[in-house]
Amino acid sequence: MSNHVFDATLRTSDFGSAGSRRLLRAGKIPAVIYGSKTKPMHIVIDAHKFALAIGSISESTLITLNVEGDEHEVLVKTFQEDIMTDIIHHVDFYEVVRGEKLRAFVSLSVEGNPVGCKKGGILDVVLHEVEVECLPKDLPADIKVDVSALDLNDHISVKELPVAKTVSILTDGDETVATVKSVKVEKVATEEEEVVATEE
Amino acid sequence: MLSPKRIIHRKKQRGTRDGVAHRGNTIAFGEFGLMAVEPKWITNRQIEAARIAMTRHIKRGGKVWIRIFPDMPYTKKPAETRQGNGKGNPEGWVAVVKKGTMMFEMAGVSEELAREALSLAAQKLPIKTKIVVRREVE
Repeated sequence: MSNHVFDATLRTSDFGSAGSRRLLRAGKIPAVIYGSKTKPMHIVIDAHKFALAIGSISESTLITLNVEGDEHEVLVKTFQEDIMTDIIHHVDFYEVVRGEKLRAFVSLSVEGNPVGCKKGGILDVVLHEVEVECLPKDLPADIKVDVSALDLNDHISVKELPVAKTVSILTDGDETVATVKSVKVEKVATEEEEVVATEE
Repeated sequence: MLSPKRIIHRKKQRGTRDGVAHRGNTIAFGEFGLMAVEPKWITNRQIEAARIAMTRHIKRGGKVWIRIFPDMPYTKKPAETRQGNGKGNPEGWVAVVKKGTMMFEMAGVSEELAREALSLAAQKLPIKTKIVVRREVE
């Protein structure tokens, strides 16, 4: 059972862009549920509740949608939003089937302070998510990447990620997740140097 | 300062800055970004000033990406010249920024330091901006 539970109602009329605008003005978001064994279903969810939760939802977070008493276990496949106002216009939910493998993007959360950073390097996180295949019950919310052992010019690749045996990573194993690079420090002209430069 | 290495035409028509950026409007590389809220031409001097303000504030430990490039030449007629007689001389380079464009990105620093650095950079730019933080679902 997931932590995120949203109530939804079926959208049986008032389709189209004008209908969507009317819903948005009323504080609702039009959405759709689909899946490998689910017939597409148009629903309406509460905009305020979803906007508050979206910060803690990733593409691998299982959500329970309560559609008029009928429970659906879904993932957020994608959503459309106005980039200027951050208002969410539409959400696509993908219904998962228990016992059937699914593919999803799982976000990587970097933890620790690398050894190389204490020596003057900077941590460069190259990859922010990886594609995995597993059963819905095994789907991790995120994959923790411990970078504290990384020295200067060291890197962690996808094949070194700590995942359970039931989860297989589809992203290329040789891709770099994070690396510590030596930093180029920008030279700031001192007052003496500036005086000499102006005299010349 | 940023400018193209080679060009096909020395002078360009001005074009339009209408509408919202449909490309380059998300955080692609870093953790924090500076998004344009207004459309405007941003000169290469302004981009450089913003970059210097940011990098000097974060000192070391962070990485900065510049997502805009000044590839558009702008021209100017000499002072006290009558109208006509053709287009003016190329004066400099600008990046055409539509609203929603992610202009700068930053990673490897704390959120507090990133916000300070990006707001310093925003002061060097002639437009209103907003600071954006990477989200898990895009």
